[in-house]
Amino acid sequence: MIKVLFFGPVAERAGTSEMQVPFRAGMRLQEVRAQLQESHPAAFEIVCFTAVNGEHALDMSLPLADHSEVVFMSKFSGG
Amino acid sequence: MKEAVRIQHEDFSQDEEVAALRAGSKRMGGIATFTGCARDFSEGREVTQISFDAYGSMALAEMKKLRVEAIAKFELLDARIVHRVGVVGAGEQIVFIAAGAAHRAPALQACHWLIDELKQRVPIWKKEITAQGDAWVTPHP
Repeated sequence: MIKVLFFGPVAERAGTSEMQVPFRAGMRLQEVRAQLQESHPAAFEIVCFTAVNGEHALDMSLPLADHSEVVFMSKFSGG
Repeated sequence: MKEAVRIQHEDFSQDEEVAALRAGSKRMGGIATFTGCARDFSEGREVTQISFDAYGSMALAEMKKLRVEAIAKFELLDARIVHRVGVVGAGEQIVFIAAGAAHRAPALQACHWLIDELKQRVPIWKKEITAQGDAWVTPHP
């Protein structure tokens, strides 16, 4: 399973803060994004950053390992 | 002594943070601090509280990286960063940054750099709570 987390405004639009996406061999980050973007389009309208296992992920072709933690995030507004 | 970089619900003491910074070195000739507070207004509305959500593990890791980078970039003797999450009342403290260096210029520059970088790089989001409703402070991409 891939653990997907949402925070703040993205979580509000998605209606949840955590989801599980079934893992399959050869899975890439873009597939998880495409799958969730289709089911939660409003949330993904404001997504501008992605993190995998706590690190910024800029390459959407990044291969994912089983049990990876993926977070789709909107622009930050801390401070 | 408390950790130099923290995310916490409870309020913090600026005096304690500055004392902890000063305790690290007697070579410190300048300490610059920044305190971010919760404004009670936004775009013509009265803000009563601000609620913060964070991707805690990544936010803390990014703040620790910022401290290490600032110490190296500005030749600081030490730096501390504290950010609150949860619900913060209007007028309360949100974030505190302290940078200590041998001279004032690098301390001031580091403090400015740290708050600017924190806003860009640390995954924390704020929601303003008003009588007219709540709104996330999140510019669209």
